[in-house]
Amino acid sequence: MSEQATRNSTTRRTVLQGAAALALASGPGTASAADSPGTVLITGASRGIGLEFAKRYAEDGWQVIATARDPKKAEALQALAKAHKNLRLETLDVTDIKAIDALAAKLKDVPIDVLLNNAGISGGAEKQKIGSIDYSVFDDVMHTNVLGPIKMAEAFTPHVAASKQKKIVSISSTEGSLTLISPRPDVNSIFYRASKSALNMSMINMAKALKDKGIIVTMQSPGLVSTDFVGSLRLPIMITPQQSVAMTMPIIARLTMEDTGKYYRHTGEVAPW
Amino acid sequence: MSDDITRRDALTASAGFTAMLGLGFWTEAAAADSAGTVLVTGASRGIGLEFVKQYAAKGYTVIATARDPAKAADLQALSKANPNIRLERLDVLDHASIDALAAKLKGTPIDILVNNAGIGGGGANQIFGKINYAVFDDVMKTNVEGPLKISEAFIEHVAASKQKKIMMVSSSQGSVASVRSPSLYFYRASKSALNMVTVNMALAVKDRGVIVGMVAPGATDTDFMVEVRGRIPLGKPEERTAGMIAQIDAFTMEKTGKFYEWNGEQIPW
Repeated sequence: MSEQATRNSTTRRTVLQGAAALALASGPGTASAADSPGTVLITGASRGIGLEFAKRYAEDGWQVIATARDPKKAEALQALAKAHKNLRLETLDVTDIKAIDALAAKLKDVPIDVLLNNAGISGGAEKQKIGSIDYSVFDDVMHTNVLGPIKMAEAFTPHVAASKQKKIVSISSTEGSLTLISPRPDVNSIFYRASKSALNMSMINMAKALKDKGIIVTMQSPGLVSTDFVGSLRLPIMITPQQSVAMTMPIIARLTMEDTGKYYRHTGEVAPW
Repeated sequence: MSDDITRRDALTASAGFTAMLGLGFWTEAAAADSAGTVLVTGASRGIGLEFVKQYAAKGYTVIATARDPAKAADLQALSKANPNIRLERLDVLDHASIDALAAKLKGTPIDILVNNAGIGGGGANQIFGKINYAVFDDVMKTNVEGPLKISEAFIEHVAASKQKKIMMVSSSQGSVASVRSPSLYFYRASKSALNMVTVNMALAVKDRGVIVGMVAPGATDTDFMVEVRGRIPLGKPEERTAGMIAQIDAFTMEKTGKFYEWNGEQIPW
């Protein structure tokens, strides 16, 4: 990711935002599918990074399909849906295979430009301390962070293949990078880390499987973001969901087939395995 | 089965008795002359069985575990021929059974814990477009959760030993950097996850002098590879296991948390 690329992208975003602003100026909710930059499906959109993605894509004029386990209880997402006619809510638990199939069937013939596998859980760091590991959270972490994204990609491949942009982006974490974790002295969230290594492997497989269909599959680390996800942890290197998403959207916007199988940080650098 | 129980009972009784006298062949003499004690999971067949055979031949005291040792004819035969092989029932998915075995073996130092038990999940279940999600849990629990739980449960046994090694039998299929074509989604993901678990375990027990590493056999001609037999070149289990044992021998604290192929090549993440 060169500075040049970053500048181009920034310019592009500004232009896009301008277009979206124009569309909005012509009347609220007039951003029809025809004018839209595309359709994005975001899992885990009720809060944190997912919510911010939904907000920013909606503001940019995208058709946003925002999914959450229980959208009725997601007040911020509800408010967002009220403010943006181009954002629709769908109930989805990514650990529920049948629910994924049902949503894929419901959205049949809806091209999805960007499938954003954002839903993820940490499982709670305190439950993952070696010596007193609570194995009851293992399945939840693996189902949400690994099985869910694989199944989503598999079920929505026809929708993505029928779109213009054809992108499947999974929110991973540099906590899943063996190269970055190995030299570090801290042992933390062993299931979470393992799930993200497993997710990366799954998406590499997916990238190879979908290349012939012209689908770009990547992984994206959002940085260390101050959301509910990290609890009360606050560190100087932390960024806000707004910052993380603002940095990530241009990376997603400029993905090409040359990027398939890559693992990007929010800074645009490629993360090592 | 009855023979085995009889033999095991006799062994246990004799061990208890001779231990009291301080000259038994199982506890005292074996421990004194022994190269050390190895615990191998998934020892009923394939590479696990080969680990048992080769470590026993090297003079190790071997605790060989299997889900159902009574049905493992080859392992039974092996243990009959080698008094320094002891069979234990262990299902790596059953945490209560892991804790029970750790309690039973309390006070027994384990030099090398070989987390060998693993499953592939079936290639046909892991093809894009028709992935069978029903096998996900079995693969993840057997290949990731099991080795972690066993390592956690046996850490005191390993820390009390001379060699202090926890070894995971992983696979180059878990190397993210090495994927060339799509297959075995869950299996590959489980081995990447196992590698991350191992790296964390290595960091966690370093202060106690325990070395944690990964070894991989490469594609080996065992039942595990039945789906690809005849389509890709497969190594002999004897040779691949001997190679992994050599890598395990060569593991030092400087190598803790690293991942080696049977032939000594370091496997990239």
